[in-house]
Amino acid sequence: MSRPLDRRHGLEPLLAELSGSRTADPGASVTIRNDLGHINVRGRAADAGFVQSVEQVLGQALPVKPNTVSLDQHEVFWLGPDEWLIVTPAAAAAELAGRLQKATSDTHASVNDISGGQVVLILQGAKCRDLLAKGCTLDLHPGAFAVGDCAQSGIARANVLLALVDEMPTFMIVIRRSFSDYLCRWLTHAGRDEGIAFKDS
Amino acid sequence: MLLIECPWCGERAETEFSYGGEAGIARPPDPDVLSDAEWADYLFNRSNPRGAHRELWNHAQGCRRWFGVERDTVTYRIAGSFRLSDGSDNREG
Repeated sequence: MSRPLDRRHGLEPLLAELSGSRTADPGASVTIRNDLGHINVRGRAADAGFVQSVEQVLGQALPVKPNTVSLDQHEVFWLGPDEWLIVTPAAAAAELAGRLQKATSDTHASVNDISGGQVVLILQGAKCRDLLAKGCTLDLHPGAFAVGDCAQSGIARANVLLALVDEMPTFMIVIRRSFSDYLCRWLTHAGRDEGIAFKDS
Repeated sequence: MLLIECPWCGERAETEFSYGGEAGIARPPDPDVLSDAEWADYLFNRSNPRGAHRELWNHAQGCRRWFGVERDTVTYRIAGSFRLSDGSDNREG
């Protein structure tokens, strides 16, 4: 049913520009993940029927604790007291959204496939906390922002959803597609001290 | 910069929020029975206190929820935040 995805991420011109410059020992690397689908789910966390239906389809918990992400088969981010984002392989997203829609059809809920609007950047490396600190007001010290924490905030004034997925550290940045070129250009400038390299997934 | 406590996300920088004016102004249940002066009072007149002020903020760059903050308009000191749905700022009771 699902057809292979040949979607451009819009960062190709930037990657072409940067292809000549190689950073010898990058303290941070950015991987553009265009192969992921994004599903926005809204419903009442207090409605046990809604939570149960969603969890049954996902096969994992819906995080009700603010600013946490459930990392399992899918990444399920808390966005608000009645809003979540599910990130899953793009090829399976439409089918999953359909199943979620069906499962929640008799509750006060909404499921929307918003894959076209967002892109994921994976920021990895020993120096990525230093890099993020230049443009983000969040306290990202390991003691304050642990694996499984997420937050919607701004990086260099662009709205992002930021999560720490492992202690390497690896940060996942979910950003509007139309802002991704701006953010990546900002990262190349801000990352000159740390050394930054870009990769297409 | 102010550190504002979102009731859901905790303390965040002021730049993540947008201001929504005085809190606790209930829309008149039946606007048709009001005089123009009463309607204008509801629309435009605010208490503008010197000191403690209960006001609305929206966590625009975060969870996008509206909530209330009690802030001193002289010192900018924030006494605390409150959720609107818990009725704590409902003047009608």
